[in-house]
Order: sequence, then C-alpha cells, then structure tokens
Amino acid sequence: MNELRIRIAGEMLTLHSQRALFWSRKRILFVADTHFGKGAVLRRAGMAVPTGQTLADLIRLDALIAHYQPTRLIVLGDLVHGVTPADTAWIGQVNVWRQRHAMVEMSLIAGNHDRHFNACELGFDVIEHQLKLESFTLRHAPCSIADSYVLAGHVHPGVAIKDGWRRHRLPAFRFGRGCGLLPAFGALTGLHQVPVEPGEKVVAITPDGLIELPMRMD
Amino acid sequence: MPTSSTTSAAWRRAEARLRAWFATLDRKPAAFQRAAWKAWAEGRNGLIHAPTGTGKTLAAVGGPLIDAVLNPARGLQLLWITPLRSLATDTAQHLTTAVEAMELPWRVLRRTGDSSSAERARLRRGDCELLVTTPESLALLLSYPDVAERFRHLRGVVVDEWHELIGNKRGTLLQLGLSRLRGLKPELRVWGLSATLGNLDEAMQTLAGDGVLIGGSDNKKIQIQTALPDAGERFPWAGHLGLKQLACVLRAVLDVRSALVFANTRSQAELWHEALAAVWPEAPETLAVHHGSIDPKLRFAVEEGLRQGTLRCVVATSSLDLGVDFSSVDRVIQIGSPKGVARLLQRAGRSGHSPGLSSKILCVPTHLLELAEIAAARRALAAHHLEPRHPLRGCLDVLAQHMLTRALGGGFHADQAYTEVRSTRAYAQLPRAQFDAVLAYLQHGGTALAGYPEYHKLQCDLDGHFYVESKRVARLHRLSIGTITADGSLQVRYMKGARLGAVEESFVSRLRPGDRFLFAGKHLELVRVRDMTAYVRQASNRQGGVPRWMGGRMPLSNELSTELRRTLADADAPEAEMRALHPLLAIQRAQSRLPDVDEVLIERTHTRDGEHLFVYPFAGRLAHEGLAAVLGYRLAQIAKADYGYAVNDYGLAITARKLPALDAETMRQLLHPWGLRRDIRASINLTELARRQFREVARVAGLVFNGYPGQDKTLRQLQVSSGLLFDVLRQHDPEHPLLWQAEREVLDQQLDYPRLRDCLIRIARGKILYVEPPRLTPLSFPLWVERLRGGVHADDWKSRVERMTTTLEAAAGR
Repeated sequence: MNELRIRIAGEMLTLHSQRALFWSRKRILFVADTHFGKGAVLRRAGMAVPTGQTLADLIRLDALIAHYQPTRLIVLGDLVHGVTPADTAWIGQVNVWRQRHAMVEMSLIAGNHDRHFNACELGFDVIEHQLKLESFTLRHAPCSIADSYVLAGHVHPGVAIKDGWRRHRLPAFRFGRGCGLLPAFGALTGLHQVPVEPGEKVVAITPDGLIELPMRMD
Repeated sequence: MPTSSTTSAAWRRAEARLRAWFATLDRKPAAFQRAAWKAWAEGRNGLIHAPTGTGKTLAAVGGPLIDAVLNPARGLQLLWITPLRSLATDTAQHLTTAVEAMELPWRVLRRTGDSSSAERARLRRGDCELLVTTPESLALLLSYPDVAERFRHLRGVVVDEWHELIGNKRGTLLQLGLSRLRGLKPELRVWGLSATLGNLDEAMQTLAGDGVLIGGSDNKKIQIQTALPDAGERFPWAGHLGLKQLACVLRAVLDVRSALVFANTRSQAELWHEALAAVWPEAPETLAVHHGSIDPKLRFAVEEGLRQGTLRCVVATSSLDLGVDFSSVDRVIQIGSPKGVARLLQRAGRSGHSPGLSSKILCVPTHLLELAEIAAARRALAAHHLEPRHPLRGCLDVLAQHMLTRALGGGFHADQAYTEVRSTRAYAQLPRAQFDAVLAYLQHGGTALAGYPEYHKLQCDLDGHFYVESKRVARLHRLSIGTITADGSLQVRYMKGARLGAVEESFVSRLRPGDRFLFAGKHLELVRVRDMTAYVRQASNRQGGVPRWMGGRMPLSNELSTELRRTLADADAPEAEMRALHPLLAIQRAQSRLPDVDEVLIERTHTRDGEHLFVYPFAGRLAHEGLAAVLGYRLAQIAKADYGYAVNDYGLAITARKLPALDAETMRQLLHPWGLRRDIRASINLTELARRQFREVARVAGLVFNGYPGQDKTLRQLQVSSGLLFDVLRQHDPEHPLLWQAEREVLDQQLDYPRLRDCLIRIARGKILYVEPPRLTPLSFPLWVERLRGGVHADDWKSRVERMTTTLEAAAGR
C-alpha cells in the first residue's frame, strides 16, 4: 500500500510511501529534510560517497508532482545539507528541476541546515521560523502550539519493529496529539528512533509500502 | 647494529649492574631473562612467552638497557607498545624504575589517546628515549611528515601483550606500522611479549619474522577446583547466570583475603556484582566491578585498589585478563565455563604468583553440563592443548587506513609501498589488484566506474608519488585513527560530569528518560541523551535492566570442544565433575544416546511448539549458526516450510510446525560439506549481515567519520549512517573493495566458516546416530530454551509486512 489517508486536525491528509504528505483540499505537497547535496559535502570531506543521490531524490519528487499535480510544494526545512561551490553538479540539477516545475509554487520553512545557503537562488521562497496555514502550523523543528496542529520535520523519525528474531528500523510518519512529524525525504539521511508515545499514530515506511502501527495504550 | 659481543668485559659489567639491582630486590635474573638480554645484544628479534607476573617486562627491557649503557645516545631509542591505554601509565612507571636502577639518563614518556599536551610537546621536540604507546598512537605518530626524523635514533620496539593484539585488526594495524618503521630503520629489533598460546611460532613470525622464541618458567602448577552441586540438589539443566551458587561463591571469597570473580560477559559481571553486594557483610567499598565498558579512570581505581590490597573482591570480565599488573590475589573464581583453555590458564594465573605456589581456580558451573566442560578444560590443560590465535589476513579496511597514514607521513610510491606492505604476515599474499583497488578507493572514492567528484583524499603527482593535499582530510584522518576499538557506543556520565563508561547505542535507544539500569555496579536513572552521551543520575531504588553488550559471548574453543567430546564419551571418567554429572548422562543414555568421539548425535522430538531437530556437532555457537541456516535451507529443499533455529555451543535446533521424514542417511546428505559455500550464500541473508558488519569496516577505512562527544558542529554535518552508504555503494559501485571486505568478515568471523567446514568434514567421515526420543533430553533441553536466532523462509518485504501486521495486531489486542 503506497498511500494511506488519515484525518489529522479535521483535515484529510494522504501519506505517501515516498516519504511525502499531500493535503488534497489545498493541493499542497509536503516533504521534509531533503538534504540536497549531502553527498557532495561528504565527498569534499574525504568520504567516498558515489554521486547521484540528489538527482535520484529529484526524480522521486518529479513522480510525486506528476501523481498529485500540486499547486504548491512546501519543504519543512533542511532543503540543502551544506555549502558547496556554485559549480557543484547538484546545484545545476536542482535548478533544472525547479524550472521544469515553474508552475508549482515552492516554499521552504528555513531549517538549521539552510542558514548556510540562500534557497531563494534555487527558486524557493524562504519562510523564516514558521508558517500558519488554516488549522496547521508548519515548522522545521517540532514544538507544541495552542490551538494549532504543528507539522514539522527535523527529527528524521524512525521506528524499530520486531519481526521474530529480527528488528527492522524503518522511517516513519508520527502523529502525536498536537504535532506531526514527517520522515526525512533525502535518500542519504539517517533515522532517529524515539520510543512511541501513548496515543501517538505511527505509520512506518517499508520498501513495500506503508503500514500503520496499531495504537498501544501503555 | 649488534652490541659488542656478549662475552666482552664491557657487556658483562653492564649486565652486572642489572643483576646488582635484581639483588637489591632479593631476586636473581631467571634463565629466560638472561637469554632474552643476550639475544637482544646479538641483534636478534624474538618473542618472550611466560605467564603474567613472571618478569617478562624486565626480560624484554634488560637488553635495550644494557645496550644503552654500552652505547649511550640521545633521542628516541626504544618504543614500547601496549594494547591498553590504562596499562601505559603502569608500564611507564615500571620501566622508569628499571631505567633509574641502571643509572641511565633516559627519559620515559607516554603517548596515548589521553596524554597531556605537555607530554605531546615534549615528544614533538624529541625529548625522550623510551616511549610507551599504543598501536593507534603509533599510527598517529607515523602520520606526520617528519616521521623519518622522529624515529632516526630508534633501535628497537617491544610489543607487550602481543597475544591480545595478534588476532584482531589492531594487530594488523601494528604489523603495518612496524613494516613502516622497518622501512625507515632496516636494522630495527622487534620483540614481543606474550602469554602462552597454541601457536607461538606463528605469533613470533608474525611480529618479529626470523627470531628466537624464549619461554619463561612454565612449571607453575594449576589446580582447577569445582563448586560441585550438593548431592540431591536440583541443579538446572540450562542457564548462564549461575546465581544459584551465590552462597558458595560468597563463602569462597570471604575465606581468603582477596579474590577475583571472573564472569564471561559484562552483563553477567554486573549481575554477579549486584548479587554479591546484596549479601556483602564487609564494608561496601571493598567490593568492586571491572569490565571493558567502564570508564578507564574507574577501572584504574579498581586496579589500584587491587594493587594496594584495599579491595577484597573484584567481579571482572576479560578486561582483567590483560596484564594489569598487581600482585596476585589469593583466590580466583570463574563463573561458568571459561570457553577456552588458554583463558582458563591466564585467569588461574592471577592467583598464587609467588614462586613455588600453585595457582588455584574455583570453577562455578551455571548449569549441569558445564561440569563436563570444566573436566575437559582440566584435561586439555594437562595435555597442554592451548588455543592458537591466528593473525587476520588481508583486511582491506585497515590497509586503507594505513595507506592514508603513509601518504600523510611523507608520501609513497605505489610499487615500493606494495613491497613494504607485503613484507607483513597479514598482507604477504595480498594480490596487487586488491592493493590497487584500495589505492583507487582512496584516490577516487571507489572503482573508476562510479562517479565521485569533489572526493580528493589521496592525490598522485606525475612521478607516481602519492600524497594528501587537503588539510581537512589530514585532520579528519588523524582524528579517526584509533577508532578500531571504538564501537557504536554512548558515553555514560553523571549530570555533574563524572564519566562512568560506555554502553551500546542499541541499549540506550530502548530507554526513556527516567528509566533505570544497572551499570558499573551502580543503579542509575537516565536523564537525557545528548551528543553521544547518556546523562544519568543515581537512582533511588533498585530496579531496571542490565545493559547488553554485543559480542559478549565467546564461542567454545575448538581445543576445548574436542576435549569435551572425548570427556563426555568417556564412560569411566574419574573426575569428580563427571561423577556428579553421572545421573544426568544416564538419563541422556536412557532416553537417547551419548555420542562417541567419532559420532554425531541427531535427535528429533516434538513439543507443544512443534517439531524439533537437534544436531550436536560441538563446534561452538558461531559455526552452529551458519550450519543451522544451511540445514534449514536444505530442509526447505525437501519440504517447503518455515524453519526457525536456535544454537548454543554444543549444537543447534531446527524448529518447524512439521518436519519431513528423516533418517540417518537423509541426515548425512543434509549435513554434507559439498556445496557448503553456495548454500550459505543461499540460506543466510549475507547482504543483511554484511550491512551490519560494514559499520566497522567503513569506520576503520575512513569511509564514515565517527562522531565523538564534544565535537564541533561542522563535524556533525558529516555524520551518515554506514548502512545507508552500504546500500548506496551496492547500488552504484558493487565492486567496491570495502563491500568485499565486509562480506568476507561475515563469513570468516561471524559464521566461523573454516570451523564450520571442518565440522562438516568430520561429520561426513564419522557416524551419524539418529534417534527419536519421546521427550526433550538433557542435551536438547538447553537448546529448546534458547531463543530463536534466525530462520529460513520466504522473505520479501510483502510477506514480512503481512507477518508483522498480524503479530503487531496480536500484541495490541492483548
């Protein structure tokens, strides 16, 4: 199952196994923590990482945009991983990709990694701190806000699921009472595993689709 | 440059100075010590083997000291390599005493990961003649461009506790470091100190090449006693904690002035310490715990307590096997089987150091069958069947680290470096193609096919000279040298700052703030986790888990298991242990069979869990795990089903809802060595195992940069999980040398492939006893209670998801 529709703060949201969230009534596609150019940053520090990760991520975004036909894409922070020289390949790739989707409005809620890089140059309008959109508040780092449901990234949430003698660590969507976390979109990002809180809705992403973890009231 | 002949008057005068100092200590140089001094003077290399506390240090340092009296010189003369940082201080003190006794103007310095900056500065100025250091710090010294200048005056290297290094990657790193030093100083003398091993010749050749083997007094008697269960007492058939014997151990400890209690795992040590503490009648500070995850400072305090005799009892793991020097204790107690003969010998040697006294060790079985292991260990020891420790071969990750060090330390040409690397035992058979693949990895990132722009670790100029240009690469490399020992662990610290040690990340990740756990003999409460550190505070009451450390359980050694098969088959074994075991073995014989030495027993039983197939090759848990997977896979060829498996040191169990019809002949075919390698690949998800193994490989080879506490923010940006890199590399660069290294380590180390193959050959040559007992037998019961370790079944994500959803729902519905 590649899609899962859930109701959060009175709105129907669609979760996609490509680590994205679509708000169909507003036609907004959300992703978080794309970390474009991370491979290049690592290579420059002497770590052997093959190229092509950013390009692969852009192709995944292409598919999502083609599928949902959103009018707006909002990235919940950490669009880019760090500074690299202007002629690094991924910057050109992102620019070409941006032009391909000129009709889609693209916004970035600035995250901690984004302070090194001016995302306006990539054709994003940059929103500092947070953006309030009807019943949601969009942020990079999670927090709780009265009378508003927070959607955030930053954490790279993951869960560990026991499967017989094995444990699988999987990226996940997590929706608490006042705050929902999106998994990191970038392929070269890690996971941060936090124990599931009571009452929290967790949707894990397996290579074969989404599974919703049953709620446990412990 | 050999010293003037050992018969010369000058040499004898210098030696007399050393003998005079021995006399002031009321001792005489032992024959092996004098032999070592003489061999040094003759310019030879060698290995000195003797039990701990018999004067190996003085045997090794005597030669260089006499040499220094005869040929005084300034600048670094002697390198002393020790495996543990915490040992360095101790050794340096010990050596200083000897230097002063010889009235030499030598300055002794220590260079380890925790040396002060003043010490480092002195070292940079060349202000010392004797340097005590670790393999990693040596590698670091070799990574500076002025390396030739630093070691210009070096005459010799002594490697302490070589037996602790020989079998692991640190030993490989050291071999490479020594090859570099030999390249700089061809006449360098290299000596090793080692405990007794089964392969001393190989150990010597690996370290010193052509040399002499000098043995210390080996005639110390060892008495192995056993805490036998009382007659009529119900003793467990399975288990590994052994707390049932607490009263007996407490008595044995309080009987004497000082005692060491050895446990096999760190968590076992923590639990035994806690249990003893609960009934400890003396002052609480006279009881302590010591294991490898406890902070060096705390460990050192315990060692100091042992030295000064303020501690009455220390519960320890193999962390105290390492030559921590303290005058011996009165009694050594081993909880559970020692799993190896050499280890038992070494632990026993911790008691009764004084000449003429025998070493005594009290073995405490944790379950009944361990009685047989103890009896077997005694037999193996009497026959002097000790385990060998073989050096690792051709580790490409260590090679990658060394080649970068080599490039930083003055650069190299490929041909010349290849020759130098091949001069080590570890890489003697390294094909040029693999060497070039490692250079290509450092130069381009991987094989030439995959793209790695911006990656410039190693550069090569037009003359073929390899060097490192980037200051950042140099800095990161120096920071990551020495991460061979570090595992993915978190520091444990009090909120106020005092460090307690390290626990595995996987353990902490299961805890939430407020959860309690037992560590370093203390009840702690987790406050928060930040920057690779778990902050804790003292917990008010006692509850909570004990951290589990990976790789805690050693497999039963080949030597011990061979002897164990013989001992079990020996119907009239005279040992008290075997007599105590007699009723149990009688049950085994009555319900099933007891295998003879050339037989392998196979049992098939059913319980409420389903049908079980038990095979007892006695080949150690690692080999059994590989065999279980292969057997499960081969069974699935006969009848498709889900086969789960469990292993212990004696055998393996295959569990299924329904097993196909079997007999001795079918079992012979199922256990045939033919096609083993192919079936291992087919049965075990090698990729998944290699992915986990890749973590260490990537770290050693400098592919990932390990975070460490207090690092600055720019470094944190470089964190990436090795698992992700593994996937990316497999996808884009499947021929990458480090992928190959990870898979090889899984086969050789995790699954103990060589032993598995030998075991199958033995089974094929021997006789198969196939029995279908009506119920679980004394041999099968421990396997039945082991938790399932793995299994063979249809394994795509779709079916996994279905399976997980059902189990999750079942768990939630409970």
